Amino acid sequence: MGPLIALVAKDVKQLLRDPRSLTMVLLMPLAVMAMFVAGYGEERSEVPIVVVNLDRGSISWQLIESLRSSGAFKIVAYAATMEEGTELVRKGVAYAAIVISEGFSDSILSGQSTRIVTVLDAAYATVSELVWQSAVIATQMFMKKASELYGTFYIDVERQTVYGPKVSSVDSFTSTIMGVLLHLVPMSLIAVSISRERERKTFEQLIMAPVSSWHIVFGKFIAYALVTVADMIVTMAFAVYALGVQVRGPLPALLAVSLLMLLCSLSIGLLISAASRNQLQAYQAAIFVFIPSMLFSGFFMPVELLSPTARLVGRVLPLYYFLKAFRNIQLRGWTLADVSQECAALALETAIFLAAAVRVLRLKVE
Amino acid sequence: MLLQSCGMVLAIEAVNLVKEFGSFRAVDGVNLKVEEGVIFGLLGPNGAGKSTTIRMILGLLKPTSGYVKVFGIDVEKNRRGVLSITGYMPQHFSLYEDLTVEENMRLYASLFGLKGKAAEERIRELMDEFVLWEFRSRLAGKLSGGMKQRLALAVALLHRPKLLVVDEPTAGVDPPLRRYFWEKFRELKCRGVTILVTTHYMDEAENCDRIALMSRGRVAAEGTPLEIKRLAFGGDLVELVVEGDPRPVLDGYGARLVEFEGDGSYSRIRLLVPDASEALVPLTRMLEQRGVKVVRAYPLPVGLEDAFIRLTTGR
Repeated sequence: MGPLIALVAKDVKQLLRDPRSLTMVLLMPLAVMAMFVAGYGEERSEVPIVVVNLDRGSISWQLIESLRSSGAFKIVAYAATMEEGTELVRKGVAYAAIVISEGFSDSILSGQSTRIVTVLDAAYATVSELVWQSAVIATQMFMKKASELYGTFYIDVERQTVYGPKVSSVDSFTSTIMGVLLHLVPMSLIAVSISRERERKTFEQLIMAPVSSWHIVFGKFIAYALVTVADMIVTMAFAVYALGVQVRGPLPALLAVSLLMLLCSLSIGLLISAASRNQLQAYQAAIFVFIPSMLFSGFFMPVELLSPTARLVGRVLPLYYFLKAFRNIQLRGWTLADVSQECAALALETAIFLAAAVRVLRLKVE
Repeated sequence: MLLQSCGMVLAIEAVNLVKEFGSFRAVDGVNLKVEEGVIFGLLGPNGAGKSTTIRMILGLLKPTSGYVKVFGIDVEKNRRGVLSITGYMPQHFSLYEDLTVEENMRLYASLFGLKGKAAEERIRELMDEFVLWEFRSRLAGKLSGGMKQRLALAVALLHRPKLLVVDEPTAGVDPPLRRYFWEKFRELKCRGVTILVTTHYMDEAENCDRIALMSRGRVAAEGTPLEIKRLAFGGDLVELVVEGDPRPVLDGYGARLVEFEGDGSYSRIRLLVPDASEALVPLTRMLEQRGVKVVRAYPLPVGLEDAFIRLTTGR
């Protein structure tokens, strides 16, 4: 027992003597929970939808009211035709279009069955399911209420998809997995690179040569990019050719977006590396950066459906832009030009993080 | 002062250097002047502030206050200028252990701006000089301690620095290699390189032209090894073996009796004189003239270690 207690005491002491790491360890659960509550705590997550009302009567408006008051939807547009509504979903303005068919009011009044059509965005499977379920429930509520007034009738809720009919779970998770790989792996790999040189003392010799922090930062950036880009291409090729992951847009566009994400992750990692004193701190910081990325970049749920704070946080995260661009290319078949904004955001962030790393890196020993 | 008025540039000039780590003053007002072309030793026990001082000289640490100039260049203002004329061999092996001997040398040659044939030749030259050629494709991490040290010195000399700073080159090194290193330093000195070396081995410091003794962040004494010893003891020690008891004769003579040992017929005495080489002959003559037969007379070697302990503890 003696040696065990001595070893426990030693390790506890060692942990307590690195205040920076300790702060991160203690702060992490708190920060993560706070972030989670801030982002996901609010009950209402209203999915933006388009309503296409082909009915000329007034009862359809009661259904629309019922949809609105369900709290599940936010009606962002009204479209005149089904094609127009579908196009808005296709463009990503709304996640679904709810189409109320012609003669809706008449059918109800005459006690016949009628239908509404939900046009779902299959590219976002979780949201589609949510929309579908909420639409069915809201319609049922409406039927219950309306039947007291108009007698028995029946509304059939029909399901259509764009980018569908159904995206397999492998396809829909590819973006998430690529996101994790492209964010966490290069970032944590490069995050320890400078602190490792500090710990092994090679940094002390290196900065005795006439090199600037610019040289050191870009030297690492380019070297790690060359090595990890090979990894990225292999992963992608494995997904597409071995697992048969479907890519609707151009593959080079997908590669370009992935490359931008990779470079951005490396630049974040470098900033961490430049600011950390030892490898443990660097590793912790990398994880610390990754958690909000996971929560607020659209891993589980599109950021638009979270709280305003979360949306704001999401706008800062490179992973948010990556997931958006990647999904749009892979599942919606968009081209690079369609996701140019996201690409620009990634490139800009990369530049900012690199510049910050150059500034933060001190050519001194402690 | 004299040197500056002659227009000569000091290799190192450190003025009122202070370095604080939190509330701890590692270096507490150090002043150093190192002339060009000398081997200057920074001596002191572990923790005296030697490494911190040289790191400030090299611009690896920012001084809390004070400044350093290397060949007239301010280290904090123009560090690059200093780096191009300075070579550094740190206390711990600091090259890349996962690169080979040759790769390490090539890397640093490039960083110092050596290109093509010039780099090639310089690397070959140093490999020959430091017996590294046959180990050139070995990973630096797989080298023995001595070979690592030789590689580190070779790398420090790649760009033909005017100033070589070496931190504890002989710590944990076997005696033959220690001797090798000091021979190398003397050789480099002959080629005009100024060397600043730290060590806590006092016996080695005799090889230095000048030394500064550091203790608890301060320079306790500075000078040639001889001057330091004289400073510590107040002069040189000479030992004489004479017939009879010379003590009455010595009264009033300009030499202090430090130790006396006599058995009635012979005595062994130790005297403190300002300069052993000058004092020994007149002293012997004086004793003989006064009828004291001198059997033997010789200067007594004192170690710097004794001098150091005397200077820092006052005992």
